[in-house]
Amino acid sequence: MAVSSAGSRVPVEERLFSLVLALLATETGLTKSEILSTVQGYRQRYKPGGDNANLERQFERDKDDIRELGVPLETVDTPGDAGNNQTLRYRIPRGAYELPHDISFTSEETTLLNLAAMVWREGSLSGESRRALLKLRSLGVSADEPVLGYAPRVRLRDAAFEPLNTALERHLVVRFPYLKPGEDAAREREVVPLALVQYQGRWHLSAAETAFGSQVEGARKMFLLRRIVGAVTAGRAVPAPEGDQAALALAGLEELWESNLAEVEVLCDTDAATRLANRRGTEDAGLTPDGGARRLRLHYVDGAILADELAGFGPEVLVVAPPELRAAVLERLERTERDHG
Amino acid sequence: MAEFQARDKLAFLLSLVPWLIEHDGANVAEAAAHFGVSPQQIRDAVELIAVSGIPGDTDSYQHGDLFDINWDAFESNDEIVLTNLVAIDDSPRFSAREATALIAGLQYLSSLPENAGSATLASLTAKLSRGASAEPAQVGVEEADDSGRGTTLALIRDCVARGTQLELDYLDSAGNRERRRVDPLRVESFDDDWYLRGWCHLREAVRTFRLDRISNAVITDAPIEHRASEVRLPDRLFDGSPEDLEVTIEVAPAAMPLLVDYLPEGAASTDADGRIRTTLRVSHFHGLKRLIASMPGVAVVVAPASARSAVAEWAAAGAARYR
Repeated sequence: MAVSSAGSRVPVEERLFSLVLALLATETGLTKSEILSTVQGYRQRYKPGGDNANLERQFERDKDDIRELGVPLETVDTPGDAGNNQTLRYRIPRGAYELPHDISFTSEETTLLNLAAMVWREGSLSGESRRALLKLRSLGVSADEPVLGYAPRVRLRDAAFEPLNTALERHLVVRFPYLKPGEDAAREREVVPLALVQYQGRWHLSAAETAFGSQVEGARKMFLLRRIVGAVTAGRAVPAPEGDQAALALAGLEELWESNLAEVEVLCDTDAATRLANRRGTEDAGLTPDGGARRLRLHYVDGAILADELAGFGPEVLVVAPPELRAAVLERLERTERDHG
Repeated sequence: MAEFQARDKLAFLLSLVPWLIEHDGANVAEAAAHFGVSPQQIRDAVELIAVSGIPGDTDSYQHGDLFDINWDAFESNDEIVLTNLVAIDDSPRFSAREATALIAGLQYLSSLPENAGSATLASLTAKLSRGASAEPAQVGVEEADDSGRGTTLALIRDCVARGTQLELDYLDSAGNRERRRVDPLRVESFDDDWYLRGWCHLREAVRTFRLDRISNAVITDAPIEHRASEVRLPDRLFDGSPEDLEVTIEVAPAAMPLLVDYLPEGAASTDADGRIRTTLRVSHFHGLKRLIASMPGVAVVVAPASARSAVAEWAAAGAARYR
């Protein structure tokens, strides 16, 4: 057998794999010193009776890595000696480690999950998808060849996405400069992040005000990642919010989208007519009296973003209502005209 | 598949063992194809598994405490036979973040005909949640399954399944409307923008169609002449042509990501007083004027003068409608 000799480096994955095997195999758990002195990858560097501080720090990092993979590494107090770090025991309970037996995926479902993983091709989510697919393959089901080829992709272009996602996972308060439309300068915000959601192609952060101390009970706010104009910094830890915050945030945006209604006239047979008619939720209120345009009602979440979009259509669109949107589109068109005059 | 990091390697080892147990005598090529990795990655992993195990009663990794394989079969026939098993029998659970990534990906794909309504999505989401070691939640994507896109996608998929051409009205950004017949090759999307790439019988070339610019699409009886397996699709949705016009623009740094699709590969950019000066390539000014007018105050055309005036006229015509 090929046990490395003392002093030689054991590859990281071999040490992590050996740690998982050892902790899965033990019923009662292993103490830290048992792990460091016997498990492959640690034992080669263990100094009996000596200073093992480096090795202990290594073990702490490995524990985090393993937990991030979804391996339920738990600690058990020794009866009668609760709270003593030296006798604390580590183990991985088999039931919490293994995928429940009644969970299986069909070929069609596997095809869909492959596509779902393909959606993330950048940032940390692509790594998560890659590992999820490895576990899915472990079950042995092969995907069907899809009838039509797809290449779906959600982009994570906003620089704020990764730091916010990390803060979300660790339940940390965040600070960032936020530029509201119509304001000249960004203002610093401090909030408790609750969820990151993509709605109509744009990433939003759902967050709670920190005014209530450590409680996640402050008013809910929605921030567009695109308007976070500087570095995101993470602060103190807060309790994890309860419930499906992503679903709540999406429902909130949907409600806003439902209640905001704009009325526009689009010239027939133009790009605006086709694209706005194909937009989700567009209501067609029929031809205008002269017959050259159609009245469309559009739902929207953010007036400033809709105004940008509508300005792009130039003379093809005339905003009828609401008046703020009318003014915002006109102001944008005049700005563009001036900038290019 | 991308280069494995240490965490990927561990996930791979924990996933490979149960598969090998279920597929006794599988060969290296078969395993590599199933996991989407190279044969060498399989061999390396099997060699590592074969010498791994638990400290055991003696704390010294004795023979019975380790996995073992039939080395002869492995070395001479590339065949993987586990002869001793340790600690692992079943596949690992998903982590909360892994489940989240897949669930959010599924939500994004809710308008695909493969999703066949929200029932599949809901049952898959429930399975992934139950198969995760902690509750997934924090990232989500809007499920836009009631948009017109779903109907168009279903039509496109039907065409490919039947092997017949799709006929559609397409209005390009220059305002030309044409009835076209298309052999669908692939559907691509970036966030909220969905595209059909197909062989256009009118242009006799591969073309990209924005789904929201398609109207009156119908399935025809004419058989498809070009299939995805026979046509090489360029990597980029819109390929530049030598006749393209160069346009110099200045952009606020924060808005640069919005323009990446329009920038040629390796486009040079310089700093111009806090703004970024760069060059776009466009086939005509119709797309440009729409793009620039949708980024008021953020992106400005600097040259040529003809491009500047195309944008100015477009915006002026728009503003005139309010006066």
